[in-house]
Amino acid sequence: MSEIVGKLFGWVNRRLPVSNTFERHLSKHPVPSKVNFWYLFGALASVVLIIQIVSGIWLIMPYSNTEEEAFASIEYIMRDVDYGWVIRYMHTTGASMFFAVVYLHMFRGLLYGSYQKPKELVWIFGCTIYLAMMAEGFLGYVLPYGQMSYWGAQVIISLFGAIPYVGESLELWIRGDYYISGITVSRFFALHVVALPLVLIALVFLHLVALHEVGAGNPEGIDIEEHLDDDGVPLDSVPFFPYKVLNALVGIGVFMTVFAIIMFFFPEGGGYFIEMANFEEANPLVTPEHIAPVWYYSPYYAMLRAVPDKLGGLIVMGSAVAILFVVPWLDKSKVASIRYKGIYSKVALALFGISFITLGYLGTVSVTEVRKTMSVICTIIYFAFFILMPIYTKYEKTLEVPERL
Amino acid sequence: MQEKDNTRRKVLIGLTSAVGLSGIPFAATPFIAAWNPSAKAKAAGASVKLDVSKMQYGQQIQVAWRKQPVFIVRHSKESLKNIDAALPKLADPNSDQIEEPYKGQNPTRSKSNEYTVMVGVCTHLGCSPKYHPEVEPKPWDASWAGGFFCPCHGSMFDMIGRVYKGVPAPTNLPVPPHFFDGSILTIGEDGGTA
Amino acid sequence: MNKKQLNILNITLSKFIFAIGLLISINSINAAEGGPCKDYGDCDEFKYSLNDMASLQRGASTFLNYCYGCHSLQYSRWGRIATDLQIPEEIFFDNLVFDKSIKPGDLMFGSMSKEQSAQWFGVAPPDLTLVSRVRGDDWIYSYLRAYYEDSSKQYGVNNLVYPGTAMPNVLMALQGNQKLVCKDVPVIASNGGEKRDNFGNTITKEKCGYLKVVEGSGELNEEQFDKLIYDLTNFLVYVGEPAKAERERMGWYVIFYFLIFTALSALLYREYHKDYHK
Repeated sequence: MSEIVGKLFGWVNRRLPVSNTFERHLSKHPVPSKVNFWYLFGALASVVLIIQIVSGIWLIMPYSNTEEEAFASIEYIMRDVDYGWVIRYMHTTGASMFFAVVYLHMFRGLLYGSYQKPKELVWIFGCTIYLAMMAEGFLGYVLPYGQMSYWGAQVIISLFGAIPYVGESLELWIRGDYYISGITVSRFFALHVVALPLVLIALVFLHLVALHEVGAGNPEGIDIEEHLDDDGVPLDSVPFFPYKVLNALVGIGVFMTVFAIIMFFFPEGGGYFIEMANFEEANPLVTPEHIAPVWYYSPYYAMLRAVPDKLGGLIVMGSAVAILFVVPWLDKSKVASIRYKGIYSKVALALFGISFITLGYLGTVSVTEVRKTMSVICTIIYFAFFILMPIYTKYEKTLEVPERL
Repeated sequence: MQEKDNTRRKVLIGLTSAVGLSGIPFAATPFIAAWNPSAKAKAAGASVKLDVSKMQYGQQIQVAWRKQPVFIVRHSKESLKNIDAALPKLADPNSDQIEEPYKGQNPTRSKSNEYTVMVGVCTHLGCSPKYHPEVEPKPWDASWAGGFFCPCHGSMFDMIGRVYKGVPAPTNLPVPPHFFDGSILTIGEDGGTA
Repeated sequence: MNKKQLNILNITLSKFIFAIGLLISINSINAAEGGPCKDYGDCDEFKYSLNDMASLQRGASTFLNYCYGCHSLQYSRWGRIATDLQIPEEIFFDNLVFDKSIKPGDLMFGSMSKEQSAQWFGVAPPDLTLVSRVRGDDWIYSYLRAYYEDSSKQYGVNNLVYPGTAMPNVLMALQGNQKLVCKDVPVIASNGGEKRDNFGNTITKEKCGYLKVVEGSGELNEEQFDKLIYDLTNFLVYVGEPAKAERERMGWYVIFYFLIFTALSALLYREYHKDYHK
C-alpha cells in the first residue's frame, strides 16, 4: 500500500515541485528561534481569511443581492436555512476578528521594526492588504441592506463628493443611480464577493513570497543570517516546520476559543460588531439617530469628524492610512526593535497606541465639544508619531543590540 | 531518555491529531446541513390537502403540488368496469415498466377504489394532457373510450392515465404519494396504512 | 532600561490597553447618553429566559391575541413557533391561528394591509420580528409599561419611553388606567443620606413624572401585568432570533472543545520545544 502511495507521490513530484516547495518553505525554511506571541498574528490572519472565504461562499448561496430581497434573505439565512445562523455569525465575527488580528499584527510591525530593510516591500504589501480589507469590510456591510448599511454607504459615498471638480460625478458613478439603490447593492456584491477577495488573496501571496525571500524578523531586531553554522543555516534559527507550525497551532487554539466565545455568546458585540440599527431594513426616508461605522473604522471616523471641512476631513483620513506606507523610510533608527530604541521612540509609540485607541472610542460616540477637542489632540499625536519619526529615531540614544538571540 | 521522548511525542501527536480531526465533522455539519431544503423550500413543497367528496362522477380536477399539476379523476362503478375496454391499445397496462407506489391495490391505480390520482405531466416532453372523458370517435382515435389526449405531440392515455401504444410518450402518467382520510385527499405524503 | 524592566513595561502597557478595550466593550452602545428610554429614564432591566417554555407560550398567546391584529412577524413562520415552543401543532393551530387557510409553513405576514393601516394610523404599524434586536429587550419591556393618560394626544395616551407614539394603549384593559402623578420624595443630601429637619422628620419635596395605575381599573394587578409583559417581551426576544437558545447551548461545547485542543497543542509544542533552547 505504502509502496503504491510512494510511487504515486513520486510521479506527481517529478511534475510538480511538491517536496521542493515543502522543504524550501516549511521543513527547511529557517525562522528565528526566539519570538514572542506578537509573531502569531500573521498566521491567525490567514486562518481568518480562510474562515471568511468559506463562510462567505456559503452565504452567497441563499443571499439575494436585490434591493427588495437583500434584507429578507439575511433573515432567511438566520431562520430558514439549516444552521444558516452559524454561517452568518461566523462571517460577522470573522470580520471583526480579522481587523483585531491585523491591527495587532501591524502593531507588532511598529514594535519590532519589521518594515526595516530589506522588508520594506513586505510592509508595503501589508499596507495594501489593509487598504483592501477596509474596502472589503465596507462593501460587505452594505449587503444586508439594513439601516446602517444604507446610511453608512450614504456617508462614505458622499465623502467622494468632497473631491473638487469630479466629486459629484464620482458619487453618481459609484452609486450607479441617483440615490443608493439595488444597483449599488448588486455591484458592491460583485466587488465584495469576487473582485476584492481575488485581490486580497493575490496580495497575501505576494506578502508571503516577499517575506520568505528575505526571512522573518525577531523581537531583538537582529539579523540571524549573520551567524551561520557549517551548513550555512543560521544558528539562531529553527526550521519552520514543525516548530513554528506547532507554535501557531497553540495560537490558533487560543484564537478559536476567543472566536467561539464571541460567535456563540456575543455575536453582536454589544452593538459594535453588528450594529442594532442594521436589524431594521434600509429606509431612505428615515435617518438613524446615531450613524456610526463598525468599530474597526471608528478611529478614522473620529479623525473625519475632528476636521470641520469635508474635503479636509477626507484628506486627513486618507493621509492617516497613506502615511503607513512610508514608515520604512521615516524610521531612521539604527536599531529595529523597540527594546533597543531610545526613550523617545518608546514614549512616541505608547502615545500613538493610546491616541489610536482613544480615537477609536471617540468614533463610536456622539460629538460634544470636549470630545471634539480630544479628537483633534489625538489626531495630532497620531500624525506626530509619524512625521517626527525621522527626527526622534535619528537623534535618540539607542541601546546596544546583542549579537545572538 | 530519547525513547521515552519519542513515545511521548507520538502519543501527543496522535492525541492532538485525533482531537483536531474529530472536530472536522462537527465544523462541516453547518455547511453540509445548509444545503438541506430550507424551511422555505419545505413550505413550498408541502403536501396539498383537499376534500374530494363534492366531485362528480367522471369529473377531473387539477391541483398544484411541487409546481406540478396533479389530476384527480372520480370514476363511477360502470366506467371502472369498462376500464380495460382499450386494453389491447395500451403499451404498459400493468405498469411493469415504471415504479408505481400502489400497484395492484385498486383498479384505479391509486389508494382509493373511486379516485385516480396522477401527475398531469405528459411523459413525452412535459405538456399537460387534456381530459376527454366522452366515449365517442375522436380525430385522434376513431374508437376513443375516454381518457387524456396531449395536444403537443398527440400522446394518448386512458381514463386512469395508462399510455397508448405507438405514441411519443413512453410511460404511464406517474402516481404521486398520497393517502385518503375519509374524503380528504393528501397529496405528497404516504400516510402510513396501505 | 534592562530587559526585565522592559518586560514589565511591555506587560503593563498591554494590560492597560486590554483594560481600555474591556471598558469600551462593557459600555456597549445601548448605554448611550440621551438614553433610548427617553423620558422614562434608564430602561428597566430585562433578562430573557428562552428555556422557559411556559413563559414563551404565554407570550406567544398574548402576542397573537393582542398584537398580531396590527403587527406582522413577516420573517417568522407559523409552524416553527409551535415546534420551538413545544406546543402540539394541532393545539397551536386550533387556538392561536385565527385564519384557517394558514398552513404551518406560511410566513406570518400579518392581518392588516400596510396601505390601509398607514392611512388609519398615519404610519403602518411596523413589523415586529426584529424589534428586540433593533430596540433592545429592555426597551420593549419598559415601553409596554410606560403608557399614561394624556388628553392632548390622539388616542388619549402618551408613552414616556416613546413620546408621541402613534400606537394606542392596546393593553389598557389589562393594565388599567396609568397616569402621571406627583409624589413627595425625600430630599437627598450631598452625602447621600436623607435630609432631616430639626425634629428628625424627613424633609420631602414634590416631584412629578411618576407613573401610577389607578387602583382596580385593570383586569390584572401590577405584578400580574408586569409578568404578562415579561412573557410577551420574552417571546419577542425569541422571535427576534429563534436560534438564540440553541446558539448559547452549542457555544459551551465548542469552547470546551477548543480549550482541550489548545491544552493538547500546548503540550505538543512544548515537547518539540525541547529540541532547541529558546
